[in-house]
Amino acid sequence: MLVDLYAKKIFNMAYQFAGSVPEAEDLTQDIFLKLHHALPKYDFGKNFTAWFLTLAKNALIDEYRRTKWEKKQRGEFDESVHAAADADDPERGLAEEETRRVLWAGLNALPPDMRMAMILKEIQGKKYEEVAEILGLPVGTVKSRINRGRLQLARILKDRKVSAHVAL
Amino acid sequence: MSPCERIEGLLASYADGELSPEEKALVEEHLASCPDCASLAACLKSVDAAFASFPEIEPAPALINRLRAVPHPRRRFRLSFDILLRPSLQPVFAVLTILAVGFSLYMASPDKKRIDQAINRQIHLGYSAFEKLTSRAGALTDSLGAAADNLFVSLGNLNPLGKAGSSDR
Repeated sequence: MLVDLYAKKIFNMAYQFAGSVPEAEDLTQDIFLKLHHALPKYDFGKNFTAWFLTLAKNALIDEYRRTKWEKKQRGEFDESVHAAADADDPERGLAEEETRRVLWAGLNALPPDMRMAMILKEIQGKKYEEVAEILGLPVGTVKSRINRGRLQLARILKDRKVSAHVAL
Repeated sequence: MSPCERIEGLLASYADGELSPEEKALVEEHLASCPDCASLAACLKSVDAAFASFPEIEPAPALINRLRAVPHPRRRFRLSFDILLRPSLQPVFAVLTILAVGFSLYMASPDKKRIDQAINRQIHLGYSAFEKLTSRAGALTDSLGAAADNLFVSLGNLNPLGKAGSSDR
Protein backbone atom coordinates (compact mmCIF):
# COMPACT_ATOMS: atom_id res chain seq x y z
CA MET A 1 0.00 0.00 0.00
CA LEU A 2 2.66 2.52 1.04
CA VAL A 3 4.86 1.31 -1.81
CA ASP A 4 2.06 1.90 -4.34
CA LEU A 5 1.39 5.38 -3.01
CA TYR A 6 4.88 6.68 -2.40
CA ALA A 7 7.46 4.67 -4.39
CA LYS A 8 7.38 6.96 -7.44
CA LYS A 9 7.42 10.14 -5.38
CA ILE A 10 10.34 9.02 -3.21
CA PHE A 11 12.28 7.52 -6.12
CA ASN A 12 12.01 10.78 -8.11
CA MET A 13 13.00 12.82 -5.08
CA ALA A 14 16.06 10.59 -4.57
CA TYR A 15 16.89 10.66 -8.29
CA GLN A 16 16.64 14.43 -8.53
CA PHE A 17 18.74 14.81 -5.39
CA ALA A 18 21.41 12.18 -6.05
CA GLY A 19 21.51 12.43 -9.84
CA SER A 20 21.81 8.77 -10.80
CA VAL A 21 19.23 5.99 -11.16
CA PRO A 22 21.17 3.16 -9.42
CA GLU A 23 21.95 5.43 -6.47
CA ALA A 24 18.34 6.63 -6.33
CA GLU A 25 17.14 3.01 -6.25
CA ASP A 26 19.42 2.16 -3.31
CA LEU A 27 18.40 5.36 -1.52
CA THR A 28 14.69 4.66 -2.08
CA GLN A 29 15.11 1.19 -0.58
CA ASP A 30 16.96 2.65 2.43
CA ILE A 31 14.23 5.24 2.89
CA PHE A 32 11.48 2.58 2.91
CA LEU A 33 13.50 0.54 5.40
CA LYS A 34 13.82 3.62 7.60
CA LEU A 35 10.09 4.25 7.18
CA HIS A 36 9.19 0.78 8.49
CA HIS A 37 11.39 1.33 11.54
CA ALA A 38 10.00 4.83 12.14
CA LEU A 39 6.30 3.98 11.64
CA PRO A 40 5.65 3.10 15.32
CA LYS A 41 6.77 6.65 16.20
CA TYR A 42 4.39 8.30 13.72
CA ASP A 43 1.97 10.70 15.39
CA PHE A 44 -1.45 10.16 13.80
CA GLY A 45 -2.30 13.83 14.24
CA LYS A 46 0.35 14.82 11.69
CA ASN A 47 0.19 14.95 7.90
CA PHE A 48 1.64 11.57 6.87
CA THR A 49 2.95 12.69 3.46
CA ALA A 50 4.83 15.65 4.94
CA TRP A 51 6.16 13.41 7.74
CA PHE A 52 7.37 10.77 5.28
CA LEU A 53 8.92 13.35 2.94
CA THR A 54 10.75 14.89 5.93
CA LEU A 55 12.08 11.44 6.79
CA ALA A 56 13.17 10.98 3.14
CA LYS A 57 14.77 14.43 3.06
CA ASN A 58 16.74 13.70 6.24
CA ALA A 59 17.88 10.33 4.87
CA LEU A 60 19.02 11.89 1.57
CA ILE A 61 20.90 14.77 3.18
CA ASP A 62 22.51 12.44 5.75
CA GLU A 63 23.65 10.14 2.94
CA TYR A 64 25.00 13.11 0.98
CA ARG A 65 26.96 14.35 4.01
CA ARG A 66 28.33 10.85 4.59
CA THR A 67 29.51 10.34 1.00
CA LYS A 68 30.00 13.82 -0.44
CA TRP A 69 33.76 13.37 -0.82
CA GLU A 70 33.23 10.27 -2.94
CA LYS A 71 30.75 12.00 -5.23
CA LYS A 72 31.96 14.62 -7.67
CA GLN A 73 29.52 14.33 -10.54
CA ARG A 74 25.90 13.51 -11.14
CA GLY A 75 24.94 10.81 -13.59
CA GLU A 76 23.72 11.58 -17.09
CA PHE A 77 20.17 12.72 -17.44
CA ASP A 78 17.68 9.90 -17.96
CA GLU A 79 16.57 9.04 -21.52
CA SER A 80 12.96 9.92 -20.75
CA VAL A 81 14.03 13.53 -20.25
CA HIS A 82 15.46 13.66 -23.77
CA ALA A 83 12.11 12.45 -25.03
CA ALA A 84 10.55 15.59 -23.56
CA ALA A 85 12.38 17.76 -26.12
CA ASP A 86 10.20 19.94 -28.36
CA ALA A 87 9.31 17.80 -31.38
CA ASP A 88 7.80 20.69 -33.39
CA ASP A 89 10.87 22.90 -33.17
CA PRO A 90 14.01 20.71 -33.03
CA GLU A 91 16.38 23.67 -32.62
CA ARG A 92 14.44 25.04 -29.67
CA GLY A 93 14.07 21.52 -28.32
CA LEU A 94 17.83 21.03 -28.39
CA ALA A 95 18.41 24.37 -26.65
CA GLU A 96 15.94 23.40 -23.92
CA GLU A 97 17.53 20.00 -23.58
CA GLU A 98 20.94 21.64 -23.22
CA THR A 99 19.51 23.95 -20.54
CA ARG A 100 18.12 20.94 -18.68
CA ARG A 101 21.48 19.18 -18.91
CA VAL A 102 23.30 22.23 -17.53
CA LEU A 103 20.79 22.59 -14.69
CA TRP A 104 20.92 18.87 -13.91
CA ALA A 105 24.69 19.11 -13.49
CA GLY A 106 24.35 22.51 -11.80
CA LEU A 107 22.18 21.09 -9.01
CA ASN A 108 25.35 19.42 -7.73
CA ALA A 109 26.87 22.85 -7.14
CA LEU A 110 24.15 23.76 -4.65
CA PRO A 111 24.44 22.98 -0.93
CA PRO A 112 22.23 19.98 0.00
CA ASP A 113 19.59 22.00 1.89
CA MET A 114 19.25 24.47 -0.98
CA ARG A 115 19.18 21.64 -3.54
CA MET A 116 16.42 19.88 -1.64
CA ALA A 117 14.36 23.09 -1.41
CA MET A 118 14.83 23.66 -5.17
CA ILE A 119 13.79 20.10 -6.01
CA LEU A 120 10.64 20.25 -3.88
CA LYS A 121 9.55 23.68 -5.12
CA GLU A 122 10.83 23.99 -8.67
CA ILE A 123 10.76 20.39 -9.95
CA GLN A 124 8.04 18.79 -7.83
CA GLY A 125 5.93 21.96 -7.87
CA LYS A 126 5.13 22.09 -4.17
CA LYS A 127 3.96 25.30 -2.51
CA TYR A 128 6.33 27.30 -0.30
CA GLU A 129 4.25 26.31 2.75
CA GLU A 130 4.56 22.59 1.93
CA VAL A 131 8.33 22.90 1.37
CA ALA A 132 8.64 24.78 4.66
CA GLU A 133 6.74 22.00 6.49
CA ILE A 134 8.92 19.26 4.98
CA LEU A 135 12.17 21.13 5.66
CA GLY A 136 11.03 22.32 9.10
CA LEU A 137 11.91 25.94 8.27
CA PRO A 138 10.01 29.25 8.19
CA VAL A 139 8.41 30.08 4.83
CA GLY A 140 10.55 33.23 4.47
CA THR A 141 13.78 31.26 4.90
CA VAL A 142 12.63 28.71 2.31
CA LYS A 143 11.71 31.44 -0.14
CA SER A 144 15.05 33.23 0.13
CA ARG A 145 16.91 29.91 -0.11
CA ILE A 146 15.06 28.97 -3.29
CA ASN A 147 15.58 32.42 -4.82
CA ARG A 148 19.31 32.22 -4.13
CA GLY A 149 19.39 28.75 -5.71
CA ARG A 150 17.56 29.96 -8.82
CA LEU A 151 19.96 32.86 -9.17
CA GLN A 152 22.99 30.61 -8.69
CA LEU A 153 21.75 28.24 -11.41
CA ALA A 154 20.97 31.20 -13.69
CA ARG A 155 24.59 32.35 -13.28
CA ILE A 156 25.85 28.84 -14.13
CA LEU A 157 23.63 28.81 -17.23
CA LYS A 158 24.81 32.30 -18.24
CA ASP A 159 28.49 31.34 -17.84
CA ARG A 160 27.89 28.21 -19.87
CA LYS A 161 26.27 30.22 -22.66
CA VAL A 162 29.13 32.73 -22.65
CA SER A 163 31.76 29.98 -22.81
CA ALA A 164 29.84 28.20 -25.61
CA HIS A 165 29.64 31.49 -27.53
CA VAL A 166 33.38 32.09 -27.09
CA ALA A 167 34.15 28.54 -28.25
CA LEU A 168 32.16 29.16 -31.46
CA MET B 1 26.59 47.47 -3.19
CA SER B 2 26.78 48.10 -6.93
CA PRO B 3 23.57 48.74 -8.93
CA CYS B 4 23.97 45.33 -10.64
CA GLU B 5 24.20 43.52 -7.27
CA ARG B 6 21.11 45.36 -6.06
CA ILE B 7 19.18 44.40 -9.19
CA GLU B 8 20.36 40.78 -8.96
CA GLY B 9 18.81 40.61 -5.50
CA LEU B 10 15.48 41.64 -7.00
CA LEU B 11 15.54 39.46 -10.12
CA ALA B 12 13.87 36.36 -8.61
CA SER B 13 11.00 38.44 -7.20
CA TYR B 14 10.82 40.28 -10.55
CA ALA B 15 10.47 36.95 -12.39
CA ASP B 16 7.71 35.92 -9.95
CA GLY B 17 5.91 39.26 -10.43
CA GLU B 18 6.17 40.11 -6.75
CA LEU B 19 7.78 43.55 -6.97
CA SER B 20 6.08 46.86 -6.28
CA PRO B 21 5.51 49.07 -9.37
CA GLU B 22 8.44 51.30 -8.33
CA GLU B 23 10.83 48.35 -7.91
CA LYS B 24 9.63 46.81 -11.16
CA ALA B 25 10.28 50.07 -13.04
CA LEU B 26 13.73 50.27 -11.43
CA VAL B 27 14.62 46.72 -12.54
CA GLU B 28 13.30 47.22 -16.07
CA GLU B 29 15.18 50.48 -16.43
CA HIS B 30 18.40 48.77 -15.32
CA LEU B 31 17.86 45.72 -17.57
CA ALA B 32 17.37 48.02 -20.57
CA SER B 33 20.79 49.56 -20.01
CA CYS B 34 22.80 46.57 -18.68
CA PRO B 35 23.19 43.60 -21.09
CA ASP B 36 24.89 41.52 -18.40
CA CYS B 37 21.93 41.74 -16.00
CA ALA B 38 19.48 41.35 -18.90
CA SER B 39 21.24 38.12 -19.87
CA LEU B 40 21.06 36.92 -16.26
CA ALA B 41 17.32 37.72 -16.12
CA ALA B 42 16.78 35.76 -19.36
CA CYS B 43 18.73 32.82 -17.91
CA LEU B 44 16.61 32.95 -14.76
CA LYS B 45 13.49 32.64 -16.92
CA SER B 46 15.09 29.68 -18.72
CA VAL B 47 15.88 28.05 -15.37
CA ASP B 48 12.26 28.36 -14.22
CA ALA B 49 10.92 27.05 -17.55
CA ALA B 50 13.38 24.15 -17.66
CA PHE B 51 12.59 23.04 -14.09
CA ALA B 52 8.89 23.13 -14.86
CA SER B 53 9.48 20.65 -17.73
CA PHE B 54 11.51 18.09 -15.78
CA PRO B 55 9.41 14.93 -16.14
CA GLU B 56 8.88 12.36 -13.42
CA ILE B 57 10.39 8.97 -14.18
CA GLU B 58 8.81 5.63 -13.38
CA PRO B 59 10.66 3.43 -10.92
CA ALA B 60 11.70 0.06 -12.36
CA PRO B 61 9.39 -2.89 -11.53
CA ALA B 62 12.39 -4.63 -9.94
CA LEU B 63 12.70 -1.73 -7.48
CA ILE B 64 8.98 -1.93 -6.66
CA ASN B 65 9.41 -5.64 -5.92
CA ARG B 66 12.41 -4.89 -3.71
CA LEU B 67 10.40 -2.26 -1.85
CA ARG B 68 7.51 -4.69 -1.31
CA ALA B 69 10.01 -7.16 0.14
CA VAL B 70 11.39 -4.63 2.66
CA PRO B 71 11.02 -6.53 5.94
CA HIS B 72 8.68 -5.11 8.52
CA PRO B 73 10.32 -4.87 11.94
CA ARG B 74 9.15 -7.53 14.36
CA ARG B 75 6.90 -6.19 17.01
CA ARG B 76 8.57 -6.63 20.35
CA PHE B 77 6.61 -6.54 23.56
CA ARG B 78 7.32 -3.22 25.08
CA LEU B 79 5.81 -1.69 28.18
CA SER B 80 4.37 1.49 26.79
CA PHE B 81 2.67 4.20 28.78
CA ASP B 82 1.39 5.91 25.64
CA ILE B 83 -1.93 4.09 25.95
CA LEU B 84 -2.49 5.71 29.36
CA LEU B 85 -2.21 9.16 27.81
CA ARG B 86 -5.16 8.70 25.48
CA PRO B 87 -7.71 11.52 25.91
CA SER B 88 -10.57 8.99 25.88
CA LEU B 89 -9.38 7.65 29.24
CA GLN B 90 -9.50 11.04 30.98
CA PRO B 91 -13.08 10.64 32.39
CA VAL B 92 -12.08 7.24 33.79
CA PHE B 93 -9.06 8.79 35.50
CA ALA B 94 -11.24 11.60 36.87
CA VAL B 95 -13.69 9.09 38.43
CA LEU B 96 -10.84 6.98 39.82
CA THR B 97 -9.26 10.10 41.33
CA ILE B 98 -12.54 11.10 43.05
CA LEU B 99 -12.96 7.57 44.40
CA ALA B 100 -9.37 7.49 45.64
CA VAL B 101 -9.75 10.87 47.37
CA GLY B 102 -13.03 9.77 48.98
CA PHE B 103 -11.55 6.49 50.14
CA SER B 104 -8.47 8.14 51.62
CA LEU B 105 -10.66 10.72 53.44
CA TYR B 106 -12.78 7.88 54.83
CA MET B 107 -9.70 5.91 55.96
CA ALA B 108 -8.10 8.93 57.60
CA SER B 109 -11.28 10.23 59.20
CA PRO B 110 -11.40 10.28 63.09
CA ASP B 111 -15.15 9.44 62.85
CA LYS B 112 -14.45 6.26 60.90
CA LYS B 113 -16.38 4.17 63.47
CA ARG B 114 -19.45 6.39 63.22
CA ILE B 115 -19.25 6.32 59.43
CA ASP B 116 -19.02 2.51 59.54
CA GLN B 117 -22.08 2.36 61.83
CA ALA B 118 -23.99 4.73 59.55
CA ILE B 119 -23.04 2.63 56.52
CA ASN B 120 -24.16 -0.56 58.35
CA ARG B 121 -27.42 1.10 59.33
CA GLN B 122 -27.98 2.19 55.76
CA ILE B 123 -27.25 -1.32 54.52
CA HIS B 124 -29.69 -2.79 57.07
CA LEU B 125 -32.34 -0.24 56.18
CA GLY B 126 -31.84 -0.97 52.55
CA TYR B 127 -32.00 -4.71 53.16
CA SER B 128 -35.21 -4.49 55.23
CA ALA B 129 -36.77 -2.21 52.61
CA PHE B 130 -35.89 -4.79 50.01
CA GLU B 131 -37.44 -7.57 52.14
CA LYS B 132 -40.64 -5.55 52.61
CA LEU B 133 -40.75 -4.96 48.89
CA THR B 134 -40.36 -8.66 48.10
CA SER B 135 -43.04 -9.66 50.67
CA ARG B 136 -45.42 -7.08 49.15
CA ALA B 137 -44.63 -8.39 45.73
CA GLY B 138 -45.38 -11.91 47.03
CA ALA B 139 -48.71 -10.79 48.47
CA LEU B 140 -49.56 -9.10 45.21
CA THR B 141 -48.79 -12.24 43.19
CA ASP B 142 -50.91 -14.28 45.63
CA SER B 143 -53.90 -11.97 45.25
CA LEU B 144 -53.45 -11.89 41.47
CA GLY B 145 -53.36 -15.69 41.47
CA ALA B 146 -56.56 -15.85 43.56
CA ALA B 147 -58.29 -13.40 41.25
CA ALA B 148 -57.26 -15.48 38.26
CA ASP B 149 -58.61 -18.64 39.95
CA ASN B 150 -61.93 -16.87 40.64
CA LEU B 151 -62.13 -15.79 37.05
CA PHE B 152 -61.56 -19.33 35.78
CA VAL B 153 -64.21 -20.67 38.15
CA SER B 154 -66.69 -18.02 36.98
CA LEU B 155 -65.98 -18.84 33.36
CA GLY B 156 -66.49 -22.55 34.13
CA ASN B 157 -69.86 -21.77 35.64
CA LEU B 158 -70.92 -19.77 32.59
CA ASN B 159 -70.11 -22.56 30.12
CA PRO B 160 -72.82 -25.15 31.19
CA LEU B 161 -75.46 -22.42 30.84
CA GLY B 162 -74.38 -21.88 27.26
CA LYS B 163 -74.60 -25.62 26.61
CA ALA B 164 -78.05 -25.73 28.19
CA GLY B 165 -79.14 -22.81 25.96
CA SER B 166 -78.00 -24.60 22.80
CA SER B 167 -79.79 -27.90 23.78
CA ASP B 168 -83.08 -25.97 24.33
CA ARG B 169 -83.10 -25.02 20.59
